[in-house]
Amino acid sequence: MQRRTFIASLAATTVTALAPESALSNNGTKRKTTLRYLRPPGALAEDDFESRCIRCGQCGEACPNHCIKYFGLENGLASLDTPYIIPRDQACILCMKCGDVCPTDAIKKIEYKLEPILKNVKMGKAKVDKNLCLSYQGKTCGVCYRACPLPDVAISVGYLEQPHVTDKCIGCGLCERSCIQLPQAIRILPNYS
Amino acid sequence: MNKPTHKSKPFFLWKHLNKLRWISLSVIFAMLILIPFLHVYQTYVAAHGYDLLAPSEKRVYDVMESLTEPFVADPEKQLDGLKGNTWSGTFGSLQMSDPLAVLGQTAGSLKFYWPFILTALIPFILTALFGRFYCGWICPATFLYELNSNLGMLLRKSGLKIGNKHFDKRLKYIVLAIGLVIAMISGSVVFASMYPPAVVGREIYYAIALGGFGTGAVYFLLTMLFELLVARRGFCRYLCPGGALYSLIGHFRIFRIKRIVEECTDCAKCNVVCEFGLDPLRDKFGQECNNCTACIAVCPTDAMTFYISPKDIGAQGPGHLGPKYRRQHRSEYQNDQHGGDI
Repeated sequence: MQRRTFIASLAATTVTALAPESALSNNGTKRKTTLRYLRPPGALAEDDFESRCIRCGQCGEACPNHCIKYFGLENGLASLDTPYIIPRDQACILCMKCGDVCPTDAIKKIEYKLEPILKNVKMGKAKVDKNLCLSYQGKTCGVCYRACPLPDVAISVGYLEQPHVTDKCIGCGLCERSCIQLPQAIRILPNYS
Repeated sequence: MNKPTHKSKPFFLWKHLNKLRWISLSVIFAMLILIPFLHVYQTYVAAHGYDLLAPSEKRVYDVMESLTEPFVADPEKQLDGLKGNTWSGTFGSLQMSDPLAVLGQTAGSLKFYWPFILTALIPFILTALFGRFYCGWICPATFLYELNSNLGMLLRKSGLKIGNKHFDKRLKYIVLAIGLVIAMISGSVVFASMYPPAVVGREIYYAIALGGFGTGAVYFLLTMLFELLVARRGFCRYLCPGGALYSLIGHFRIFRIKRIVEECTDCAKCNVVCEFGLDPLRDKFGQECNNCTACIAVCPTDAMTFYISPKDIGAQGPGHLGPKYRRQHRSEYQNDQHGGDI
């Protein structure tokens, strides 16, 4: 942890410790932070997830891809120590081990098969920025299509391998992870509900 | 001394239970360190890239491989059976959770989710039988707190004036109640962030697998300082919500420690050694005793033993080998023809 984030989290601890109880609850209000993160595959809706999760850390220990990380205080006290995924850093490979190990079913148990995964995993949806995407600029790329675990289901490609995201995209983030543009031309818009 | 030796001598193994307890604490703490390393090793195996690892990572890989090779053929899958910490863990196909996790989570979500509640069944039954044994035998925070408390003893012996304040032990039940209320209002398991064993297990994992301690480490260090400088074992005695819950569950525990009054010399070593500030000398164990057996181990006359009963034995008065009892019963001894032997 960097010293700056450390001091910031220390300050946040003292502030939240002194804040009245009403500040702890986020009833009704949506996310106040600007963080863009994903919950592990099969996670419940955000408020349900925060009340269901007991912060045991087993999902992260089960993740063979090392993509699940844990919040400090940067996303508010209610999501302290809850798991999240930043797809640009390390994206989910949809192995579904985190759901198997979750004791409270805050992350649902989903069978490692195409149909249940398509049906139950709703981490988010990919969105292509056509101004950044190389294929839309006339340079054939297609990396996101090749990185996608559900090619032709979640992403189809057309002329010059221009990616088109379909409604079946579940938001694992492997396309965002693999995008060769900097900043990435394809991003996951998280689905917190 | 023609002391009758046959009557209620403690079973000789009870004397060594305290060592066994330290082994148990050390093993569980070592497991908490080992499990994150196993997880890191699993990710290396899953990545199929041994040649791409840094030298330090290769060392982790090699050590973990040599440790696990005799037991597992396919670490990527078979090591999945060993996950988690004392807050909630997976051992093969068995999942066990802290009763406090279940209570806090049920309060937070206001729903009964039975598959999760049942994971606390085994700890619940054990607590009902042995009382607050978790606090003395398993809790990874206890391991650090007891070392911390021993350090405090050393500092006190060397002349430093370290606070040894006493508060009301019922404070922790209030902490438990307030925590439950906050969980209900905020819809979040507050105990997870303030219950030391959960924090310790998590922070060890963060430090090993995720590259650094989180905010919980600061909190835990503060509780350590509180215990060292303000009150000996202060958090466990006065504030810990888990200890409060275990005390309540173990109120009618059947494995208890009692004082054999005939052997007791009133030396009060048991009171000094008791981590939870109880009063074994005056038979005041109550629901807060965690059966740590430190008093059995320290007793010079073997006057402490286990017995099976749902209730404490109650005050037995001064020990029969102590000066107070002898003063009270001087006349009896003078009349007694064997009085001179004592």
